[in-house]
Amino acid sequence: MPAGHGVRSRTRDSFSRPFRKKGYIPLSTYLRTYKIGDYVDVKVNGAVHKGMPHKFYHGRTGRVWNVTKRAIGVEVNKQVGNRIIRKRIHVRVEHVQPSRCTEEFKLRKVKNDQLKAEAKAKGEVISTKRQPEGPKPGFMVEGATLETVTPIPYDVVNDLKGGY
Amino acid sequence: MPFVKAQKTNAYFKRFQVKFKRRREGKTDYRARNRLINQDKNKYNTPKYRLVARFTNKDIVAQIVHASISGDIVLAAAYAHELPRYGLEVGLTNYAAAYCVGLLLARRTLKQLEMDDEYEGNVEATGEDFTVEPGETRRPFRALLDVGLVKTTTGNRVFGVLKGALDGGIDIPHSEKRFAGFNKDSKQLDPEVHRKYIYGGHVAAYMRTLMEDEPEKYQSHFSEFIKRGFEPDSIEGMYKKVHTAIRANPEAKKSEKAPPKEHKRYNLKKLSYEERKAKLIDRLKALNSAAGADDSDEED
Repeated sequence: MPAGHGVRSRTRDSFSRPFRKKGYIPLSTYLRTYKIGDYVDVKVNGAVHKGMPHKFYHGRTGRVWNVTKRAIGVEVNKQVGNRIIRKRIHVRVEHVQPSRCTEEFKLRKVKNDQLKAEAKAKGEVISTKRQPEGPKPGFMVEGATLETVTPIPYDVVNDLKGGY
Repeated sequence: MPFVKAQKTNAYFKRFQVKFKRRREGKTDYRARNRLINQDKNKYNTPKYRLVARFTNKDIVAQIVHASISGDIVLAAAYAHELPRYGLEVGLTNYAAAYCVGLLLARRTLKQLEMDDEYEGNVEATGEDFTVEPGETRRPFRALLDVGLVKTTTGNRVFGVLKGALDGGIDIPHSEKRFAGFNKDSKQLDPEVHRKYIYGGHVAAYMRTLMEDEPEKYQSHFSEFIKRGFEPDSIEGMYKKVHTAIRANPEAKKSEKAPPKEHKRYNLKKLSYEERKAKLIDRLKALNSAAGADDSDEED
């Protein structure tokens, strides 16, 4: 009998709930709010059968473009052949998590604004650009003892012992 | 001891998945809670208030609560043990007291939100089905009834709380099917019967029958009523006075509580991350100094 290519084919493991986390899903997933423009991760929750995305989108991250009563519209990139299409899917909130991909950027934005405001108050010019990690500085090695190693002279008698 | 095959092996415990804590305690019905809390996503952060009505053996708790990720937030609460302030000292868990608690909670929340002038509600409790009309400036305060794990039979006291809150001026979607006095055959609410329950008429009727048939039981059962001089006929008047007192001043009173006593600590206090790191560094230093002394002996 052939393999079959149904919508949920090959999802036995990816859609299954983790060990000892089956049954009722915690209610905090329903209490989160999402606004248009937020970044969200799509992660299927096998306990809720409605509003599941297709298995391709499991693990993808996209932006919210629509908010309805129980679901969220997410715009995800998908490579089709030789191009990338921006696909718009609707997913129930149980299969979506807020993404932390922009968290570092947002924190840095706030910090940079603060630094710039301080610099402006003091009247100095600063650059808030990130710099890549450079080569490590030099250092002195502490507590090292020198041991000189020289080759030992070839001793025929000793080396042939037991093998001759 | 004869050989008994162990039923709950180690493997059983390793695979056992516990239910949610409040489910284990038997206090929360998560199926109902899910449906009560879930807010439409396109309403974003608008809170969904629920009127929580819970009964203990000697008290009634009514709260207006809305859910948040860090825990539910209580907007206002009313207890049956506050009713002595308004003149009701006995029968604190009956249907009439439940009505008073609902009424108190409704007036308290409306006063807190400064809507109490606009939404008077039903001042004269007639037992008829009353729904709040939308006022001029603001829409009525809406809450959903949360009964908990109680069986919702006709005439249950939680619906007494519901009726009290409705008459107080809160908008709660409901049907009259479960009010006391609803006739299953004619499918109609008899407002007279409901009104009787709201004013403790059923309690008064029981008092009258006991007085005639079993005076000793009447003395023992209703001893507190007798002590305060309540006759079966004066009960309705008493409840009417309590209603007016509630409407006059529904403010909550902060109770004065002494700060709790400091108890001796029997178990070790958990250290914070910094404290644990500091402790580790101290231990390593001590080890190093001890080991350093040994090393210098062994080096030769």
